[in-house]
Amino acid sequence: METKKDILWRVYLLYAMMCVFGIAIIAQVVNVQFIQGEKWRAKAEALTTEYREIEAARGNIFATDGSLLATSFPIYEVRMDVCADPITDKIFYANLDSLALCLYQLFNDKSKASYKAELTEARKKNNSYLLIQRNVSYVDLQKLKKFPIFKNGKYKGGLITLQQSKRSRPFRELAARTIGYERPGIQPIGLEGAYNSYLTGVGGKRLMQKIAGGVWKPLNDDNEIEPQDGMDLVTTIDINIQDVAEHALLTQLQKHGADHGCTILMEVETGEIRAIANLSKSKNSEEYGEYYNYAIGEATEPGSTFKLASVIALLEDGASTSEIVDTEKGVIYFYGQPMKDSNHDKGGHGKITLHETFEVSSNIGISRMVDKYYSKNPQKFIDRIYAMNLQNPLDLEIPGEGKPKIKNPKDKDWSGVSLPWMSIGYELLMTPMQILTFYNAVANNGNMVKPKFVKEITKNGIVEKEFQTQIINPKICSQETIDKVKRMMEGVVDSGTAKNLKHADFKIAGKTGTAQIAKEGIYKGQKITYQASFVGYFPADNPKYSCIVIVNAPSNSVYYGNLVAGPIFKEIADKVYSSRLDIHKELEATEILAENKIPYAQRGNKNDLVTSLQKLNVPLNNATLNTSRWVTAENKGNKIELKESAETNGIVPKVLGMGARDAIYILENLGLRVIIEGRGTVVQQSINAGTAITLQREIILKLS
Amino acid sequence: MTTTLLKYLKGDKVIWFTVLFLSVVSVMAVYSSSGMLAFRTRSGNTEYFLFKHFSILVLGLGLMYVTHRMKYTWFSRLSQVAMLLAVPMLIYTLAMGVNLNSANRWISIPIIEMTFQTSDFAKLALIMYLARLLAVKQDEIKDLKSAFLPMIVPIIVICGLILPANFSTSAILFITCLILMFIGRVNVKHLLSLVGCAILGFALLVGISYVVPVEKVFPRMETWKQRVETYFTTAESEEDAAAISDASFQSDQAKIAVATGGLFGKGPGNSDQRNFLPHPYSDFIYAIVIEEYGLIGGFAVLLAYLILLFRGVKIVVKSPNTFAALLALGCCFMLIFQAMINMAVAVNLFPVTGQPLPLVSMGGTSLWFTSIAVGIILSVSRAIEEGETKTEEEYAIA
Repeated sequence: METKKDILWRVYLLYAMMCVFGIAIIAQVVNVQFIQGEKWRAKAEALTTEYREIEAARGNIFATDGSLLATSFPIYEVRMDVCADPITDKIFYANLDSLALCLYQLFNDKSKASYKAELTEARKKNNSYLLIQRNVSYVDLQKLKKFPIFKNGKYKGGLITLQQSKRSRPFRELAARTIGYERPGIQPIGLEGAYNSYLTGVGGKRLMQKIAGGVWKPLNDDNEIEPQDGMDLVTTIDINIQDVAEHALLTQLQKHGADHGCTILMEVETGEIRAIANLSKSKNSEEYGEYYNYAIGEATEPGSTFKLASVIALLEDGASTSEIVDTEKGVIYFYGQPMKDSNHDKGGHGKITLHETFEVSSNIGISRMVDKYYSKNPQKFIDRIYAMNLQNPLDLEIPGEGKPKIKNPKDKDWSGVSLPWMSIGYELLMTPMQILTFYNAVANNGNMVKPKFVKEITKNGIVEKEFQTQIINPKICSQETIDKVKRMMEGVVDSGTAKNLKHADFKIAGKTGTAQIAKEGIYKGQKITYQASFVGYFPADNPKYSCIVIVNAPSNSVYYGNLVAGPIFKEIADKVYSSRLDIHKELEATEILAENKIPYAQRGNKNDLVTSLQKLNVPLNNATLNTSRWVTAENKGNKIELKESAETNGIVPKVLGMGARDAIYILENLGLRVIIEGRGTVVQQSINAGTAITLQREIILKLS
Repeated sequence: MTTTLLKYLKGDKVIWFTVLFLSVVSVMAVYSSSGMLAFRTRSGNTEYFLFKHFSILVLGLGLMYVTHRMKYTWFSRLSQVAMLLAVPMLIYTLAMGVNLNSANRWISIPIIEMTFQTSDFAKLALIMYLARLLAVKQDEIKDLKSAFLPMIVPIIVICGLILPANFSTSAILFITCLILMFIGRVNVKHLLSLVGCAILGFALLVGISYVVPVEKVFPRMETWKQRVETYFTTAESEEDAAAISDASFQSDQAKIAVATGGLFGKGPGNSDQRNFLPHPYSDFIYAIVIEEYGLIGGFAVLLAYLILLFRGVKIVVKSPNTFAALLALGCCFMLIFQAMINMAVAVNLFPVTGQPLPLVSMGGTSLWFTSIAVGIILSVSRAIEEGETKTEEEYAIA
């Protein structure tokens, strides 16, 4: 028991001491909280931190050939911790001058002196977050990192960089509306909006500290969570054709002073959109630009281009292309409402076949035929139209598609004139894209495919998702009917309303449209404006591409589809045709033989001449001539003879007959300055052959 | 449910409830403060450490339960085995251990893939062994040769082996042992002279380190010096300030946490300082507790530890033999002393050391050894309740 007592007092002593220890701790807490509290809380003010979102790099949008349509590039906000501990007064003032000079030379926005003053001021005010420059490019940043003080490294140099990203469209206006944009708080536009979730990526996080002026400064050197970059979009847009389309559209819009216009080029088989251009006058100037996606968003009365649907319905219901219809003198009346043909002032078309009706785009002919077949049962006509899926939106991924409207006899606004007027494309609404999809289906032998803008989604060049062509309706009508309407559309270009589109190299098939539209509250009868359109496909015998052109409200007196929209179609078609060798008809051997001529060859580089002439199997003399690089070629009946071209040093040679490339090569090598006028082969040289050469003297070559 | 559960929980219920209270505090404080670590290492999965810590805590309570069902007399024999294991383990750790913070304190256990601080094991082994020696030698306790020396040799060996890697653990263990010896009635003269020698020895070591680089033997020497200097230095020149600014960063951040906590705190999960304190879920968790739950919360946690110690004292009062008394008190004091040190560091009463707050800080294996220590206390308490304690004579045979 003695032992226990002896132990117990020691234990109590220990317990008392630990209680004192505890009281000391609490006392210290009170001390820190209340006595020193002010000081520490003031320090805490400076320490507000937050995990801030770090944007992931947004994916790129590519044209089908890999050209960049939209891309994000990093730009940097550069700041300096002027008072970073490792920057001592000695280091700072020793380098101040050269740093200011370097900054001035790089950015050239402020004088060296003002840079110097700013840095000194910041140093005095203990600024640890001095703004050096915003929107610094990556290249400039690399230069910046080599500047005095900054070059001391990440920690010792005091350089603080914050990466931001900037979205840019390298081709600017080209397909701008279709590429679109995405910004928080703004309705997403185009592909940027449609594929935002793929393009965005997953943001990272970075612990940042709030410092004076509501600015956030990163606390650690790396991101706490690295962002995952967005995926890339490979579109179906062909940037070269897009360029031509945009340019052709612009030219015509300017020529006719139109309000706006659009054009779309689609690949027949796949529905891939190769070009889509939308131009309208800007609000405050006469300049045209991409402001609205009319091709997708604007549903209007299509007018004559809808006649194709009516004719398909008629043919499906037993009408014959040779069926005669009386268009009278160009004016008839439905329930008291006049319907006119475009040539009613010239007495009309009289009695013509259905085929001719389509070719000349007779309103009376089509509506009379439709009236004849369907007046007793208009629903049957509408059902035919519905069977071609013309009443449904295309359900495009790009937001903002205009809704088609094709009414039904059951609808309240159906009237007696609805059927004849609908048959020629009025009292109904369709967007250019919807009309093109319909024509494309005819070109594609009845297989209606959904327009496709995006081929695949890739990440770091690896395909993550591939988009297949979607079929809307595998057969919109019988093959027989397809064959018949195709011939009709060829007839439109051959002998109908679009004769001006007749083409020597390949055949175009299509349909013109000249719809009257009411614009901005001006209703029919008061002031009529027009919507000129042409929609079709080419080459007619083996359709590869379909294309629609719509020009809205051409202000001048010319408003017919073939004249306003046709040239745009033709220019696009020419460009596509010339860039797609595989759709060219092969030239037959007879065509060359018919020329029956030895190709024209003149003086030039020997190797070039020999190679190209041998390729063409042209008989040559002296092909093995090996004395000189430059030769003259002479036609000897059915052979070409090569002769050495005399060149003497210090004397201007004869370059007549040479191509520009060879002539420039020779003359510039001799020390002359060549100025070229015209194209072709040299027909005149301003310094005669045999003249002594004066160095740097100009020689003008006229080519033709 | 509660009553059936209580049926299985033997021993002092107050200890059980206090431990449960601390566990709840632990889960909340660790969840809040491990956010940044989780963010960085688990790509934003902030619940990762919550679940991990929670399961470790539950496992710890399990260990506590199992230990408290064991006969406390077993620990007498176990302590001898444990001592035999501890020495080679410490040597192995010193030589091979995982290098965390440039201190070789850890070895990793292969299968469960957790690191394991050997000093935690050695601490417990030494306290148990010392309680045994003190009990056995009670009759000749004032003697130098037969009592003091046989005790001081294992203490110096264990503390000496821990010292190079972890000065503070070694020092705390050494002091705990001295106090335990004092309570166990060891000659105070012997104890005082030992303290004198220890201080002299360490002073010599520090002195040498200023002359000869001893980083090879004591890689943490610089850190120790810096931390102590920081604590005692008031910056007189700007250069001084710059030199100590980095070292004082931790204590400054802790003080900001304490100061901004106020009386009632910022509320659970609202700590700002967790982003600045280097180990907010471990060394400085008490600062986070004060920041989020205020002076009130901080006081409650401190009180919980004092209650634990008080219940330990009660066990000593009731315990029928010296081994039971010293075993329970040794385990209890070791834990509470460490807690006090941790809290004192967190409020900047002491220089910065890396001691976790027992039962609260995140940390796998050290929590388990703490749980075992509590289990031992409860085991003694259970024995007292059930009256199954042996008499002094019986114990001597054991």
